[in-house]
Amino acid sequence: MIKEQELNNLIICKKCHTLHEKIPLHNKKKALCSKCNILLYQRDDKMIDKTLALVITAAISLIIAFEFTIITINIQGLEQSLTLGSLFNVIIEHKQYVVGLMFLFLIFIFPIAIISAMFLLLLLMKLKKGAYLTKRLLILLAHLRPWSMVDIFFISLLVAMVKLFDYAHIELGISFMAFIFTLILDIIITKNIGFNELWEMHTKIYGTIDE
Amino acid sequence: MSNHDDFVRCHICEAVNQNDNANKICRRCHSHIYSDLKISYHKTLAFLITAIILYIPANIYPILITKQFGSSSESTIMGGIMHLWEAGSYPVALIILVASVFVPLLKFILLIYLLISAKYRGYSSRIDKHKLFYITEAIGPWSMVDVFVVIILSVLIHFSGIQIYPGAGATAFALMVFFTMISALSFDTRLITKRKKTKNLSHQGDSVHANT
Repeated sequence: MIKEQELNNLIICKKCHTLHEKIPLHNKKKALCSKCNILLYQRDDKMIDKTLALVITAAISLIIAFEFTIITINIQGLEQSLTLGSLFNVIIEHKQYVVGLMFLFLIFIFPIAIISAMFLLLLLMKLKKGAYLTKRLLILLAHLRPWSMVDIFFISLLVAMVKLFDYAHIELGISFMAFIFTLILDIIITKNIGFNELWEMHTKIYGTIDE
Repeated sequence: MSNHDDFVRCHICEAVNQNDNANKICRRCHSHIYSDLKISYHKTLAFLITAIILYIPANIYPILITKQFGSSSESTIMGGIMHLWEAGSYPVALIILVASVFVPLLKFILLIYLLISAKYRGYSSRIDKHKLFYITEAIGPWSMVDVFVVIILSVLIHFSGIQIYPGAGATAFALMVFFTMISALSFDTRLITKRKKTKNLSHQGDSVHANT
């Protein structure tokens, strides 16, 4: 049987599953996989504070993105605007409940759940409180992460706009900018944060807890 | 100690665990990561078959219905792509073609290949297979593009004279993407590393040091 400590010093690459032995890093250095050059782990002493700030900003811009008009089109004087509210109205009107339900979860509920879980998690870890809750949040985040599709929604929005360019005059709304801002923040957050590092910090802050 | 088969990565907390069948839960997050390999295999297969079956109505039934002054016209995925190509918007046609035709097909083929090579030893190395699975997981949600485009169009083109709304194909397609994603999520990576008892792969190297 190998001890916990020895297992903690090992890491498996998420892409090619090559086993690596960890070495201590200086602050702000990254370790890459020796086979496929993907990020294995990094050290950033201020990771929690930085990410917390980014998550709060992302939460605000996500609220703006969901609240206001995304785009407005104008076809010979007829105007129609795309907001999250009008989206669900139309889905219910056309009785596309399966698609509507998936849309509701993938675009609306899961991204909000991820951002709020992340916020709560980082806040609690900063205050060093709630050992059990933070652990549940970390597990919840791992389950939710593959199911957020805001980025895909945005690409679809661009495709739809290109399709409409010939027929309509398109005006970008506030939410369009907010979506871009949210996506950029999302990329920075995923780059900044490593779930392996968060789990290690969790063990460091709260010690090992058994259920 | 450093044979690759002896360790497994928890898919929830990314901790390295020992690959012994005695431990059924991860040492760090206490999630159930060691379900029976057979169950994982059959779950992946079942969801994959569901997705493949759903792929047929997704292509046959119209994904988009246009109602223009009383008369309505329907277009399927391939029809929509052809229409876009003829209209000259090549980049958009390509995006839709890749996202809604190539990506699902690629996912089916990759998952079928990974499942077959879990039963019979394939020719690819284990690292290649892990990379293939990583790709399968990464490209999965991108096939939703077409469904989202249809929904966005149906919201925007919603006048009394002309209306666009999603057809039955959109529902089938969305469900298809959902089931391929579940299929990939229920695939256990230990199916790749599983060692055949008769053919011992003992030459796998020692653990590699991380380079900074």
